[in-house]
Amino acid sequence: MNVEKTATILQRLQSIGITLERISFLDHGYWVCESNFSVGATSEYLLGLYSIQEAAAQIPVTLFTESEDKTVLDACAAPGGKTVQLADSMRNTGAIIALDIRKQRVTALANQLERCRVKNTVVYFLDARQVSELKASFDRILLDMPCSGNFAADKNWFKRRTINDVKRNAALQREIMTETVKVLNDNGEIVYSTCSLEPEENELNIDWAVRNLSLQVEEINCHGQEALTNVFGKYLDSSIEKCRRIWPGQTQGFFVCKLKRRNAA
Amino acid sequence: MIKPIVDFVGRFGTKIMLDESLIVKRQGRYFLLNKNLKRLASKNFFYAGVYIGKVKDGRFFPSFNLLNFVAREKSNKVIIDKKTEWLFICGRDIFKQGIANVIGSRKKDEYTLVLNSYGECLGFGRILRNLDGKKGGPAVENILDIGDFLRREK
Repeated sequence: MNVEKTATILQRLQSIGITLERISFLDHGYWVCESNFSVGATSEYLLGLYSIQEAAAQIPVTLFTESEDKTVLDACAAPGGKTVQLADSMRNTGAIIALDIRKQRVTALANQLERCRVKNTVVYFLDARQVSELKASFDRILLDMPCSGNFAADKNWFKRRTINDVKRNAALQREIMTETVKVLNDNGEIVYSTCSLEPEENELNIDWAVRNLSLQVEEINCHGQEALTNVFGKYLDSSIEKCRRIWPGQTQGFFVCKLKRRNAA
Repeated sequence: MIKPIVDFVGRFGTKIMLDESLIVKRQGRYFLLNKNLKRLASKNFFYAGVYIGKVKDGRFFPSFNLLNFVAREKSNKVIIDKKTEWLFICGRDIFKQGIANVIGSRKKDEYTLVLNSYGECLGFGRILRNLDGKKGGPAVENILDIGDFLRREK
């Protein structure tokens, strides 16, 4: 929900019969409890006064410390829910560079930006692994990774996914991390997230990044449980427990953590 | 370079100030950038800053950002009631009884912005008959409305 207009928007939505309830672990997120029509077709939505996003998926953007006036990379941005949330949290200051590789999704991203009157974003049809081509460096990097998803968000998940999908996604995620770390400013922050519950795409990847990319896991204070530090009989770096694993229930399954360069202050 | 934009805005009986040095045209689409974005945006971007509109087959198609710029100026506007707002964003024309207020021109064939009771721009249309007249029927033809955000995804 647009941070600057929250009270007014709540009142307007209530006046047209939409019942909302504040999400306890978010500052600007609300559950839709009751509505006689689609909340994705109101004037208020089409005017960009609010967006629709799964609750756990709203967490990553909130983990950055102070992002106003910063240069931010949204490496896998489409369809743009988090990009809009980022722009809102930055109050349209600084700059967001948003990347994605699928044409149709990039178009959807551009539509979201226009609807929500985002002014501080440049979108490229570009693979995150080629980010160095932009010759820019970033204070904040959002890695909301392409992932295998989870059964809470996809009822056919067990039919559609194989262990090879998980391995392929985990490898892709490592490649994206490797290339994006190269454009992270000293003292910059990375927020890594997936909507997968597979350790290969989460704890094991972060453990790998800590060991190979000179990154360290930062403390975060958000909804979720400590991540696993013993996976498939393998003991991981103890700092991995600072990551958060959100089990499906109230929200979809989700994983999130914050990383910095190890030598950063 | 910005003649199509200036000409379009002029049809609402107004003009807006745009810093031409910050406008970038890419594949027929116009974007307004700030200096910081201009520095960061290389020439192969897909979208940047504030999308203003596009020229296709010699015609200019405005963005909602541009309509919002125009709405801030003294320009032709009709303010419509709640029921008419819903019909308008579903793509329907506006009947005279749905218009609560008219600002600026009331003349046939002029362009007018369409605003809701909160003063938010819902789109624009063309005046079909003199708005001073008493005759019923459609009064403003819907040319573009925010329901387009849903329709364009299909």
